Amino acid sequence: MSSTDDPDIDTESADADASFTRRDFVKIAGGVGAVAAGSTASVNLDTTDLWTDKEQHYVGTDFGDYGAEDVIHTTCGQCNTFCPIKVRLADESGTGRYSSLVRKLAGNPYSFLNTQPFSQVPYDSDPQQVATGDLEGTGDVAGDRWSLSGARMCLKGQAGIQTAFDAYRVRKPMKRVGPRGSGEWKTISWEQAIAEIVEGNEELGHPGLRELWGYAPKEKVMSDWEAVQNGEMDKEKFDRKWEDALIDTDHPDLGPKANQIVDVGGFRRNFIRARLWKQGLGSLNSVHHAGTCGISSVMGNVRSFGGKKKRQYADIENCEYLLVWGTNPLVANKGPTWLAPKLTNAMEDGMRMDVVDPRLSKTAEKAQQWVPVEPGADAALAMGMARWIIERDRHDVDYLRNPSKSAASADDEPTWSDATHLVRVDAEAQPKARSSDLGLVTGDADAADEFVVVDAETGEPVPAGDADAAVLDVDLTVGGERVRSAWSLYRERVFEHTVSEYADMAGVAPETIAEVADEFTSHGKRAAIMSYRGPAKHANGFQNQRAIATLQHLVGNYDWKGGQMTPYAGFATMSGRYELGEVPDGHSPWGVPLLRGGVNYEETSLFERDDGYPAERPWFPVAPPYAAQEIYGSAKDEYPYSVEALFLRPYSNNHVMAVAGGDKIPEVLKDTEKIPLFVASDTVVGDTSKYADYILPEPTYLERWENFGTYPNKRLADEKISQPSVKVVPDARPFEEVLIDIWKEMDLPGVGEDAIPDADGNLWSLDSSEDFYLKLVANIAYDREPVADASDSELDTFRKAHEKGLGKHFDLKEWKSAVEPEEWRKVVTVLNRGGRFEEPIENYDEAFAEHGHDYDYAERYGDRSNAYDGDHLRYKLGARADFYSEVVPKGKHSYTGERFDPLPKVEDVRHYDGSVQAEVVSDEDPERPLRLVNWKPRTQGATRTQNSPWLRETRPENPLWMNPEDADERGIENGDRIEIDAGRRTVEAVAMVTSGIRPGVVGAMWGWGREGDGAVAETIDGKTREAVERDGHTPYEFDEPMREEAAYAKGRDAGFAINHVQPLDSELGDVGLSDPVGGSNAQYDAFVDVTKRGEGE
Amino acid sequence: MSGTADEGGDADLPATDPEFLRMRARTYDLLSACLDGDAGALVEAAENGYFVQLSAVFPVDIDPELLAEYDEEALEVGYDNLFAVPGPHYVPPFASAHAADAPRSDDATANYESDSAYHAGDDGELLGEPAAEFAELYDAVDFEPTRGDGIPDHVAAAFEFLGALAQAEADRRKAGNIEEAEALADLQRRTLDRLGWLDEFHERVREADSAEGAFARIVGVARTFAAWDARSGIGAAEAESPDDQRDATSNPDNSPNPDP
Repeated sequence: MSSTDDPDIDTESADADASFTRRDFVKIAGGVGAVAAGSTASVNLDTTDLWTDKEQHYVGTDFGDYGAEDVIHTTCGQCNTFCPIKVRLADESGTGRYSSLVRKLAGNPYSFLNTQPFSQVPYDSDPQQVATGDLEGTGDVAGDRWSLSGARMCLKGQAGIQTAFDAYRVRKPMKRVGPRGSGEWKTISWEQAIAEIVEGNEELGHPGLRELWGYAPKEKVMSDWEAVQNGEMDKEKFDRKWEDALIDTDHPDLGPKANQIVDVGGFRRNFIRARLWKQGLGSLNSVHHAGTCGISSVMGNVRSFGGKKKRQYADIENCEYLLVWGTNPLVANKGPTWLAPKLTNAMEDGMRMDVVDPRLSKTAEKAQQWVPVEPGADAALAMGMARWIIERDRHDVDYLRNPSKSAASADDEPTWSDATHLVRVDAEAQPKARSSDLGLVTGDADAADEFVVVDAETGEPVPAGDADAAVLDVDLTVGGERVRSAWSLYRERVFEHTVSEYADMAGVAPETIAEVADEFTSHGKRAAIMSYRGPAKHANGFQNQRAIATLQHLVGNYDWKGGQMTPYAGFATMSGRYELGEVPDGHSPWGVPLLRGGVNYEETSLFERDDGYPAERPWFPVAPPYAAQEIYGSAKDEYPYSVEALFLRPYSNNHVMAVAGGDKIPEVLKDTEKIPLFVASDTVVGDTSKYADYILPEPTYLERWENFGTYPNKRLADEKISQPSVKVVPDARPFEEVLIDIWKEMDLPGVGEDAIPDADGNLWSLDSSEDFYLKLVANIAYDREPVADASDSELDTFRKAHEKGLGKHFDLKEWKSAVEPEEWRKVVTVLNRGGRFEEPIENYDEAFAEHGHDYDYAERYGDRSNAYDGDHLRYKLGARADFYSEVVPKGKHSYTGERFDPLPKVEDVRHYDGSVQAEVVSDEDPERPLRLVNWKPRTQGATRTQNSPWLRETRPENPLWMNPEDADERGIENGDRIEIDAGRRTVEAVAMVTSGIRPGVVGAMWGWGREGDGAVAETIDGKTREAVERDGHTPYEFDEPMREEAAYAKGRDAGFAINHVQPLDSELGDVGLSDPVGGSNAQYDAFVDVTKRGEGE
Repeated sequence: MSGTADEGGDADLPATDPEFLRMRARTYDLLSACLDGDAGALVEAAENGYFVQLSAVFPVDIDPELLAEYDEEALEVGYDNLFAVPGPHYVPPFASAHAADAPRSDDATANYESDSAYHAGDDGELLGEPAAEFAELYDAVDFEPTRGDGIPDHVAAAFEFLGALAQAEADRRKAGNIEEAEALADLQRRTLDRLGWLDEFHERVREADSAEGAFARIVGVARTFAAWDARSGIGAAEAESPDDQRDATSNPDNSPNPDP
């Protein structure tokens, strides 16, 4: 027999069955005594969790067949993981208002990012076979519980349908009626919108770009300026000559007027920022989201390595001990579909994971040990670990004594450190010594710029490249100058406090520090740290991350299998067949960036104008100009200059929601004196875009082109491509196309005819998104070994799928004309697969046919592995690890003029003027008793996914987590309505009482408490569209926190905005605190008190 | 359908009848004990004529003579040779070895490399995927088999489980706890769905046990009983749906006189 519906079972008994009844059976069986040792009568079954639904919910049998012509592979944009996905187009187009409906979104089976823990389908696999699941080895759901015909996707991704098909989308270009932010709009034509943006508009009284823009090359201006300084040129003549081009002829170093035209947008950086803004317009100021995100973490890493390394990730598959620090990779940080299965499988295989986080996150729940550190005291924890490690000689001395690449190579180490390098401790800014500085070689010798070490064999100072091993602890005088090794300085810094003192600062037990440090140093190179925003989003965030990074220097785990990984492995995008970054006769932007990054205040002419320190607003001399939180205060104060036009693409830059103190931004945006022209390109009337003069309809990520990067947490190379899959709003235009039109009107370079050079020097025109992105796809297709040509049937599939998805918006002829005819088939190969994805081994297709999807090829095929090179990772950092950064002290704090510290340091969280917000080393009491932290929700990508009722149903609002100790003290119970008093503001929320948060710390998810995107009413062409009300499918009441079984989605305004209860900087008063070194906006440094509201109901 | 409470009539008993369920439980339990090598239980049942009676109605080729008298010791040795000790007569008594895609030594194309530390020769994997599936079923009600040598997909464990479920269902039916009883019935059907391998198992036991023949016959009874149960026993209960939980219009067999 087999299944109950299988007629072939036991055919012999078919006849007998018919005559043998249950009554017969009972008669016969009645004669059977119970088995003496029988078990059935005594078994106590626990049926409490047994499924008791009326209908079975097992493997479904109702399905619709579809093929590759129903599928377009593209990239998800619901969060910044940017998973490769598959759009299954619907068979019916609904009302016909859309080019196509979307039946379902799933992961892209060609990508390793969405097929974990299995392997992807071979790249050359026929899309038809992949779509139908007929490819040998892909498995089937019924038998294998998994099929590669669809790959992994998270719930946020699946809700992308609701982002694209949101009824609150902006459908036409809109112009405000009445003052900014009044909520009243009228629709206008694209022609009118572009004409008014370029030429100005009397009705609204704003100037046009043509009037605002001005540019002159730096060399000419500054050579004239030098002449003025030398008395060789008359100042008035200088003013007359350059007044139309410069922001301020008294301060020419601020740069051209083009800098006053500011772009704020996250995506399409290569196209809009590099090409159109910088080279087309000549403006420095195209800003993305970094300051509101983890830039201090990025910079903490950048300053800790001699090579490109921005992030801390581990080779999870082979890691034995993983310390996750202030990040939640099961939920965020490029994690949900990619890292989550890897991590859980690694744990199943024996990896130990500990998690440092004030909150018991989803990742911490699965940890061996949860270390609830005091927020912002991460450097103390890291330095405590360092001290424990060094005191017990648990660091890798052989690794640290390698002074150079060659010495490291001889030792089978892909990286080396600066531990033995000597520092000129008495020199200005304390740089590292170069061989010529100390007279070891002459200034023109090859080794003149080499670092200096003390050779372990001879005891003599030599160029680093000349020693096989060098001395770690050095403090000596060479040629009259005192030099010390980076190691001796670092060690001294670490030993400034005892382990107990560090433990006290970090709010953990000394034993915990010992245990974590012990474990971290008990696995050789197979131990690693993964860290991100937690330690970094404080005003001392840079130093926290520096301290964490240097822990890994101690074990030298870089590029080792199971250690720290840094594979920025992709395929060429901007160059190769086409030089997409080159603009013939383009402008070179110059001057002082609006956000004052990369420049020391005292090196500008403003220093003298403003009587030196303190500067009016903070400068970020050793960070890039990405402190986006400073845009609006800078515009208000016209510091360092005024903003004349603001272009905003809020999809990932909804600063009203994302900036700590973002509630202060609307005041500036509403002021037409401070920002005369404000244009937003948005999918919805958003929290920030609602204050614009014009909102232009932007396509969602399912409707446009993009080339999202992947973070360096993967063993193999990949390059993802987003392509238009459907057209939901017929009049939506990608912002780059709008800019092309504007640039053409203004005769700016980089667009129109002869805009893009190819490898042979021929020039191509740039009139549409396709002109850029299809060339980018060609670059991807031809990099390394070019991809195979698409067959005739693949070309056919491509055409059918795009005609189905885009309808009349797809013009095959135009697409084909964007590249050389011989490139087209390769372009289609890449587009049909949504990008390019490296296979785990050479000759993968043969192996896949043999072993199928459930096999670890990278591990089992030795030399054929594309992931490993023996015991090392194939894609390497291959660079120096820095305990001591000589770049950091080149920067000076713009309030005091003091140099920043070259070594990791435990610091308090301070305001711009130096006053303490949160103590770490000092003993000052906070203004209110509870520290407020926040985190990314599990079921939301960002504010941009709040318009999905599917997602809002899962968590209707953001409750405030409180430890029972803190709740009991205040008489608060789970589910009570509460008030959060943050000093300058008080907000209402619901309490979630849980031991999963450190006592003294409270916290909530960000992204709630919106005032845009359908959260409030808007009037368009006289018709008022009301705010979204609650929505849902189930008849249950709203859920109590921690009992979210099923619920209504509340409105889009549900919950409270975490960034609107952040403290304002005490000196600036218009924005939250910033990290002066790394540039991040501080978001975990608020102190609040909480009281029960009324009866708590 | 037969969902009538008329005990005295000619109509068949409902598949949800507690007595019927209890008898099923007892039968599964007995077969489980026999297939776990409990020679005492086997001999006792044989002596009581139970197998002969069952084989009379099920199409199992059983010579009544052979089932009348057995030597317990010989049966124990026979059991070990067949089901416990890998050797010339060994037939693995668990599903993983008989899984449809389990590689065999005569399959020259299978360059098989096992992930399992328990990989057992050419006969597929010990503790393969079916074992995980059975374990999952057991886990649903917190059941731990006492038979089957710790192998979740061992026939003795599976039958013990079916017996326990049937007994529990009988108890729930008696107590009027229809919802849990239905869930337990459903779990039995899902378990029976995973016993398709018994056909091949029976064939191989029949070849290997040609001399003595006792276990070939027991396995034959087990196979045909389970098949009958899946169709006319617990399997029938699903279609008959004795309570009002289902939408009446969706049930073609809906009786005008449903269960009391």
